[in-house]
Amino acid sequence: MKTFRKLASLFLAGIMAVSFAACGGTGSSSAASAASASAADSTASAADNTFTVGFDQNFPPMGFKGSDGKFTGFDLDLAAEAAKRMGMAIKYQPISWDAKDAELTSGTIDCIWNGFTISGRENNYTWSKPYMENDQVFVVKADSAVKSLADLKGKTVEVQTDSAAQAALKEKTNISSAFANVQTTADYNTALMDLDMGAVDAVAMDSTVADYKITSGKLKLKILGESIQKEQYGIGFKKGNTALCAKVSKAMDEMKKDGTLTKISKKWFGKDVTTWGKA
Amino acid sequence: MSFSSIVLQLAQGMGVSVEIFFITLVFSLPLGLLIALGRMSKNKIVSAIMSVYISIMRGTPLMLQMMVVYFGPYYLFGIHISGSYRMSAALIAFIINYAAYFAEIYRSGIQSMSQGQYEAAKLLGYSRQQTFSIIILPQVFKCIIPALSNEVITLVKDTSLAFTISVVEMFTTAKALASATASMMPFAAAGLFYYIFNFLVAWVMDIIEKKLAYYK
Repeated sequence: MKTFRKLASLFLAGIMAVSFAACGGTGSSSAASAASASAADSTASAADNTFTVGFDQNFPPMGFKGSDGKFTGFDLDLAAEAAKRMGMAIKYQPISWDAKDAELTSGTIDCIWNGFTISGRENNYTWSKPYMENDQVFVVKADSAVKSLADLKGKTVEVQTDSAAQAALKEKTNISSAFANVQTTADYNTALMDLDMGAVDAVAMDSTVADYKITSGKLKLKILGESIQKEQYGIGFKKGNTALCAKVSKAMDEMKKDGTLTKISKKWFGKDVTTWGKA
Repeated sequence: MSFSSIVLQLAQGMGVSVEIFFITLVFSLPLGLLIALGRMSKNKIVSAIMSVYISIMRGTPLMLQMMVVYFGPYYLFGIHISGSYRMSAALIAFIINYAAYFAEIYRSGIQSMSQGQYEAAKLLGYSRQQTFSIIILPQVFKCIIPALSNEVITLVKDTSLAFTISVVEMFTTAKALASATASMMPFAAAGLFYYIFNFLVAWVMDIIEKKLAYYK
């Protein structure tokens, strides 16, 4: 069938053209740097001079959509400042949290800077020094009958998939075994909606985010006294990408020295919550 | 965040969704026809390859296919991909997925053509290619418009799956706004946007169907 073959070759060529045009930008450099994956990543981020920060955009105050529609947040502000000091352009890339590892490994983002908990993930990434402390806590409705951890016996708790809370609960079976069920969901906004509706009894999440949601006054929540684990936030880079990690760490050192770190922290939290350099 | 600001941002997200929609249609409609012809080919090898293609594309989730197209080059071949590949990867995945569905719709239309048409065309001296493109294909289109409009409307809503590989389209924007404003209003607005767009699509398909009903 002549028409079939003609049309077939035309459209296959079309599809190939589309896909090559897509990676065409980095096409020539990719052939050369495909040899070593980690070398490719650090050369890529240096080559096109953009510092791409991957973040979950449903995670205020660390990274979220502000009232002007632009991405904003404590971590994003820190990243922008660090990028400025490194002489790089900043790019905010909202990602699907479950795909974070694939995005980081394949180099489409340079780092994860998003209230990213170090505990339990020490060996999976190249980490910066910790910059902030956090608790994993249980959040319940303000008028809930649940007053303490013991009251959660036989109840349903929800966490975000792939979150530190999920990992902590998995590890601390003495706590989680008392629950009827630990549910997972794609982001914390959905979890809090479930909580508000009564579909779940408690949400296990970062205290920094919970505090923000409570003080911004829109949701009536309370945090239970017992925390699941105390932990620290760090900046996560692809395992082996020590070059970029060192550059960012140097920028953060400068920011601490001249007080910018404290200034940004006060803007978001009213006080200096940063622990950079205080081992 | 004011209502107008929310609507503006959703409209920008809608722009991305509409872009995915149109580009997917433009490429997958012809590709689907090709695949359908290959599937019905007398050549056993071509027919088998196309059957396997359709089976895989329809049998695996679109989300998974998008991840394979996007992360595949790096994980399978070690090609370093840039962030700008995101949109192209989403488009490629949508095109090859929807082409499989369209292929089956085309095939059902083509196979429903009565043998009488082919015989009459042969008598009138049309070649096989001419019979297909002048006699059969227009009738096939008339026949499959309802099934096609079903798939097209599904495509409008499937564009929200592009977030799997971080393409910021309208539903993602609605989620982010709902997070930031702690209200359900962005979702309601998003629903309205989708409904209006789908209404337009269904209306256009209806007009096409009426225009093609020239023997009724």
